[in-house]
Formats: sequence, structure tokens, C-alpha cells
Amino acid sequence: MKQYPRGGIAEPGASLAYHTGSWRVQRPVHVHQAAPCHHACPAGEDAQAYLALVEQGAMQAAWEALVSANPLPAITGRVCPHPCESGCNRGQYDEPVSIHGIERVLGDEAIRNNWAYPVSAPAADAPTVAVIGAGPAGLSCAWHLLRRGLRVVVFESETEPGGICATAIPEYRLPAKVVSAECGRLLALDGIEFQPGQQLGRDVSLHDLKQQYAAVFIGAGAQQARPWNIDGVTPVDLHDGLAVLKEWTRVGQVPPAARVAVIGGGNTAVDLCRVFKRAGASQVMLVTHSGMPGPGVPDAMRALPRELEQAQEEGVEILAHRGVRRLVLRGEKVAGLETVHMKKLPDANGRLRRVAFEGTESLIHVDMVVPATGQDVDGTGFEELLNGQTYLSANAEGATGADRVFAGGDVTGQAGTVAAAVGQGRRAAAAIARALGKTAETPRRSEAVVAFSALNTEYFEAGKRHHGSSLPVAERGIEREVEQGLGLSEARAEAGRCLSCGNCLACDNCYTLCPDTAVLKTRAEAADGSHYVFDYEYCKGCGLCANECPTGYIQMVPEL
Amino acid sequence: MRQALEGSQAIARAVALCRPNVVSAYPITPQTHIVENIAKLVADGELKCEYVSVESEHSAASVALGAAAAGARAYTASASQGILLMCEVLYDIAGLRIPMVLTCANRAVSAPLSIWNDHQDSMAVRDAGWIQLFCADNQEAVDTTIQAFRIAQDTDLPVMVCVDGFTLTHTLEPIDLPTQQQVDGFLPPFVFARALDPRKPLSVGTLATPEWFTEARHSHHGAVLAATDAIVAADRDWQQVSGRGCGGLLQVDGPADARIGILCMGSVVGTLQDARDAMPELPSARIIRLRSFRPFPAQALREACAGLDQVVVLERALSPGAMGIVGAEVRAALYGVAGAPRVQSVAAGLGGRDMPLTLYAQLIALAQAPATTDFAILDVELDKLPAADRYPEAAVAVSSGDRS
Repeated sequence: MKQYPRGGIAEPGASLAYHTGSWRVQRPVHVHQAAPCHHACPAGEDAQAYLALVEQGAMQAAWEALVSANPLPAITGRVCPHPCESGCNRGQYDEPVSIHGIERVLGDEAIRNNWAYPVSAPAADAPTVAVIGAGPAGLSCAWHLLRRGLRVVVFESETEPGGICATAIPEYRLPAKVVSAECGRLLALDGIEFQPGQQLGRDVSLHDLKQQYAAVFIGAGAQQARPWNIDGVTPVDLHDGLAVLKEWTRVGQVPPAARVAVIGGGNTAVDLCRVFKRAGASQVMLVTHSGMPGPGVPDAMRALPRELEQAQEEGVEILAHRGVRRLVLRGEKVAGLETVHMKKLPDANGRLRRVAFEGTESLIHVDMVVPATGQDVDGTGFEELLNGQTYLSANAEGATGADRVFAGGDVTGQAGTVAAAVGQGRRAAAAIARALGKTAETPRRSEAVVAFSALNTEYFEAGKRHHGSSLPVAERGIEREVEQGLGLSEARAEAGRCLSCGNCLACDNCYTLCPDTAVLKTRAEAADGSHYVFDYEYCKGCGLCANECPTGYIQMVPEL
Repeated sequence: MRQALEGSQAIARAVALCRPNVVSAYPITPQTHIVENIAKLVADGELKCEYVSVESEHSAASVALGAAAAGARAYTASASQGILLMCEVLYDIAGLRIPMVLTCANRAVSAPLSIWNDHQDSMAVRDAGWIQLFCADNQEAVDTTIQAFRIAQDTDLPVMVCVDGFTLTHTLEPIDLPTQQQVDGFLPPFVFARALDPRKPLSVGTLATPEWFTEARHSHHGAVLAATDAIVAADRDWQQVSGRGCGGLLQVDGPADARIGILCMGSVVGTLQDARDAMPELPSARIIRLRSFRPFPAQALREACAGLDQVVVLERALSPGAMGIVGAEVRAALYGVAGAPRVQSVAAGLGGRDMPLTLYAQLIALAQAPATTDFAILDVELDKLPAADRYPEAAVAVSSGDRS
């Protein structure tokens, strides 16, 4: 007969006879969820993955992880409105991680060190895809086609690649050498052929391209001035915003004016204001229906808050919540604007509608008005596809409905940002590769997003965001970049602020705190990518591990 | 050589003579000078020992448990709320059959907050399965502490040495401290058969299913009962070494033909003996001092009560809503014994209230009263209470005639 030893001592492992797992009514499971930054990124970057590498100092590996989604980080790191940071859970803790700052450092480092893009040359007989437009959508599509073993020929109407980034974003915000370096490195890859100065409908035809190439991707952008008038009135000397920016970028000039009103609330409008200021205009006003960005503003301007701030520092006046009611013309030229206060208010059905407040009209004296309220697609060369519509219709995968013809970027009217264009280019590349039988991959199923409430913030330390410095107003000019960006060590420290939402940190909390030693630490056995496995023979389902997991990587699943 | 020592200091020196390997303590109230003096001995290099200052009594007891389980002679001290905070670990130590020694400098338990002497703290943990020995004076505290280390290792049980707080711990008394040689001759080096050894891993504190728990309790209960032999043997052997005994399980003092007995624990025995000498006009009672409360020496108690008509149990704690704790146990021990005396139970000296010589006269009067007092707090002053809180006398003192 087995006997009870004095004091209940036992041989090691004797308690293994008690399979306490049978007490369990809920089990802990590892659930990889998307970090909100990843979820929010239109380009599909998994910021958290590359931030972890930056924190370790593995900068090149971080850049490689980054370009697996977005091949243009030096550009997006400067111009993207970074919805990743708006989504960042850290924003609810102290301040969001400066993801764009780190992205920019990685992009710049890749250029500086000439890091090789992680891709091998396609087979000599690989199918070749024609890409129309060397803007963000086209370049992204080309890159992701190359990654899938396809050859690409990129046709560009301009002499330089980069699209809007090269032609219409001022130097102080996005230096031309950054654009040409990043795009140039990409286009120099073995498997990509770049044909500048080739305009669709003039130098090449869609019909011929379809004949010669396995598939065609249209990333022609939207660069045609949208007709603009107030009650049918258009000044004879009206300048389209995008055209003014292009002129400035190309020759460093803008039409002469002392008092300018720019209409619009996006980054183009803000860029225009700042450019007119630099060109010597005495008074520059930005007139917009939208409000200044801020907490609880439902109709905030799309422009980056920091850009707006800098514009104001430089003397630009922002007339927010203001609509243009009337153009005052002297002869056929503009002499002033009558504006009225407007705001979005809920109507009888609770829907927000823009309402003008009668009696708040005021007159502004200007000698030039520049609309920056968006562009239309120039359908030259694909008129049949456009079929009289404003934008080229395409589904989420870029398919236009026409055989082997895909589209992405501003031409589809679905992008609006460089990052979104990059994302569309990537998804279209995957769809093209699938159509050509080069890949079996299916569109990624979107994962659940880790909410801030799923994190255990007790395990994180408060830490100030690294903002990077910007040039003092007095030193700002035409060429020097206003945003100085983060230094390497700042970027690394900033990456350390990432909360790693939804990912295993290997922090050992679950392993240490499990009261039943039912969390086993073995990377070899943890096939789910974590560092631990649950021993369900003994796990009682108490939930301590899930509660103490800093990143929300462990979830309790009911078993009853 | 006799020297004037404060009780706490004397106990500290006694502990040091026993060559402990680990002393752990929480140094703040309710603590005594005992651990402070041990800390000083360690700091001065007079005692080679791992002194662990911890953040709570729970930790103090836990450290001692772990140290003893690893084969160290371990010691700690506490009192009052400190004992209560240790409670969980005290059960563990006893249930795991870990030999170690703890001094309980007996004090009242709050609320209301009190720092003074009574026995409620050690009574609160009486069922933890420890040996509990109550000391009459500081000399006995020294001698019992030394004996306790041997009893612990002879029985694989922890021993709580109960010493009246302030009344003993903070008063000076001429003490005959034994020599190191005397103690070494009496107390063999600590050897724990189940000591943990990393080369031969063992699991301590494993789960006992209903299939085993009963047997664990049975063997533990038997061990505490059987500890009477080790207590008596240790006292006898120490008497041979030092010339002083502590009375073994209990001490009986008074005329052989006495009809009245007074039973007590702790230092009040001296007061009762002095009062009896000072009041020759009153009947001379047999004073029975219970030294071992756990194990409860029922047989020795029956023998000590032989020939008595009356026993009044005087104690310094109570079980509110029932009666005196020792009183109930004495009554139970004598139940059904032919010719057993009538047992009355009273409490006094709670929360440090002085116990004057006149207490003796009150106890004698109680013994001589025709009505039986099941329980009363003898020195309560009812006029200090609002009328609604005085309660009818019947509720606190049942008078139902002679039970014998």
C-alpha cells in the first residue's frame, strides 16, 4: 500500500498525476492580431515588425521588412499623413510612436548605404508586364511584380520617375534627390526596364501594350485640372493649383501675385500657400470648408497638422470653416472673394450637412485665387476603359474588368495618398501574378485589430515621443528640408517605444506567473511563432497569463 | 552567572546560544527587542547566522519555512497582528512538519488597537498544529527557548514559545544564562532528514487529494499529541544540564490537601502565588500552571486536579460568544471523570489590564460561590459602558446552581 510520507514530500513530478486541465472551462490561446498601425497603413506596412528590428539595431533587416510592403519609404516617411500613428495604441498611453520618422530614417539609410533590394532577378523567359506611370502606384506594382518573379517595363510620360512626388511636391518638404534616388534604385533593379518620355495614347497604345505584354497596369494618376467656378464665374487668369506647384517644382516660379487665396484643405493647398509665401506674396490665405484639425473636430482638413502649423508659422492665414460665396471681378480679373462662415451641423435626420451662416459674409481683397480642390483623370489613351466616368473603375484587387488590364493609384479615385497608391499597386501586382499563374497566394485575410484595452500597460514605461527638429522659420527657404527627421539613435530609441500590440514579446510573464507551470518555454515547440506552449493537461484556465500578457497576444476561449 | 537582563535581550541571547543558521524577522511593530538584539549580535560578529530582514511577518515566516526545509535551524519572532499575518504560513510550517522555533511575545489583537499583553494572538493560531509552550518568567523563557529547538527537531514539529509581552519581554530580571558548552551538550546540531538537496530533488507542499488529506491530518494530530514525551524529556534533560526545570507539561504548586484549584498560563502565576502568601486568611489554593497548551496535557491535568472540589480557570483570552478557550478545554478534559471538580471559567487582564493581588480573593470567592459561573470577564467595569452595551449578567455569567 502506498503511504503518506511525513510532511507530504514527494518525488519531483509527483503532482503530474493530477491532471488539473480537467478543471478548465476556458483555455488560453495565442492569437496573433494586427497591430493598429499595421491595420491602418494603406500601403500594408507592418510597422510593428520593422520597429522591433530597429530597436535591436538591425536597420537593414528592418528596411527589408519595410520594403516587403512599401518600396518607397524615404518618400512616404516624408509625405504620408501616417494613419499608422493615428491608430497607434501608444497614443492612448502617452504619444504615438513616430512611425513615419523611423520609416524615413530607414529609407534614407537604404539610399545612403545602397542596400540591395531583397529580390532576385526574374527568369529570362518570365512573362513581362507593362506598367503605365512611374508614380507611387506604378512603382509599387512593378516592385511587387518583380518580387513574384515577373519582368516589368515601366512607361512614364515625364523624363523622371516619381509621379506627383517628383513634379508637384516642393523641395522643402520632399527633396528631389530623395525621390530620384529612391525611384532610381528601384528602376535600376534587374528585371525592371524604365522607358521615360513615353506617353500613353501618344507614344504607346493600350492596344499594342496588351498585344506585347502579358498584362497591363495603369497607374496614370489624376493630374488634369478640375473645372472650377463660382456660380459659373471663372476669372480669366485662373491658375490651377497642381499646375502652379509643377511650375514651381520645375522652374522655381509661380505666377506673380501679392495677395493670394488658395481654396482647399488638403496638402496641395497648404503646399501652394507656402510656395506663394516663399515666392514673395505679401498675404496668403487658405480658404476651406473644413475645420482646423483638433480633438473632436468632425470635419478637419485633410492636410497634415504639422504642415498646417508650419504654414502658419511662415505667415499663411488659415480661414477655416469658410466657403466662397462670390467672386469679385474687376473686368475679368479677380479682385476679391466674398466668403461666408460654414459648418457641418446635423440635419433633421442627424446627418451632418454643411450649413452657411447668413450674415457672416465678409470680403477679402485678393489679386489671385488658386483652387486646389482636386484633379481629374486625363483619360488620353484609355478613353474606352474610362468610358466617360470621372475615374477608372477597378475593384480592390485592381481588376478593371478588361482582360489582363489592371489599375491603381489616383487614376481609380480610391487612393488620395502615396501610401494608398503603394497599397493598390501591391494588391494589383498580386492579382496580376495570380492571373498569370505565377503565384497561388490569395488576398490576405484581414486580422482582428488589437484594441488598447487588450494591452496590459502596467508593463510599459512612459516615454516621450522623439519629434525630430524642424528648421526655425527664419532659416526656411526654397530648398532646405524643413523637417530634419530623426537621427539613427533617436530612431532606435523611438522604436523602443513600440508596445508590440498583438505580438509575443518573449517577456516570460505567462511563463513566470502561471500558477500551474502549465506554460512551457520552448521556441522549438511553439509552432505558432510565440516562445511558449500551453500544457493543457495541467492548465486550469485561470486566465492569469492572458491578463498579464502586455500585448494582448493571449486570449481566453470558452470551452463549455 | 546571574545578570540583570531585559526579557527580550535574554531570549535573544538564548536563541544565539542555540546557533541558528537563519533568523528572519519583520522589524516593525508589533515586534520586540528580541530580533533587534539578534540583529545586533549578528552585526557585531558574535553570532554567525543569516539574518533576513523582510517586508512582512508573512514573509518572515515564509523565509524561516524555506530555510528550515533546506536544513537550516531557523527562528523568528512576532506578536499580535504579526502572528495573525503569519497565520497562513504557520499552518504550512506545521502541516509540512518543519521543525523551527518562534517566540510569540503575547499581545492583544486589535480592534480596538492595543499593544499590551494578553493571549489572544497565540490562541488565534492554536489549531495551526504547532507546539505551544507558555512561560512563567524570563528565566523560563530562556530555558524554554533552548528546549524548544530540541523539541522541534525531536518531533519534526514547530514550537511556539509564548512569552507575555511587556510583562516579561520588556522587564529586567536576574537571569542565569547558560554557557555555550551547556547548550551544545544539550542541543545536538540540527539535522533534518527531509532537508532539500538540489542533488536529490524533492517536492514540498504538493497537493493532497481527499484520498490523502485525512491521513495527513491524522499523522499530524498524532505527532502533536505524542510530543508530550519530547517536552517532558527535554525539560528533564535540561534540568540535568542547568539545574533548572520548567515543570514539563504543567506545574502544580500548593498544599496537597487544597480543595480549591486555580489554573492559569503565563506570568500571572507569580502574582497568584504572591497573593496567596500575602493573604493567609484566605483558603490556600492549588495553583496549576499549564506550560504546554499544545499538546493539551489532558491526562496530566486530571492528575493535577485530583482531590479538588473547585477549579477556576483564569485566562487572558476568550472566544466571544462561547467562553474561555482554556476553560472549555479544561472542562472537556475533566468531563465524565469520577469526582472531578466543578470548573468555572473567567478571563482577566485583557489588553494589558493590570492583574493585582486582589484578583486572588476574587477567584477564591468565585470558587466558594454556590452558583456556577460558566464564563465571566472578571475585571470588567460595567459602569464604563452605555447601559445598552452592559448586557444582562445572565448573558455573560450563567448561574445555574452547583453542577457537581
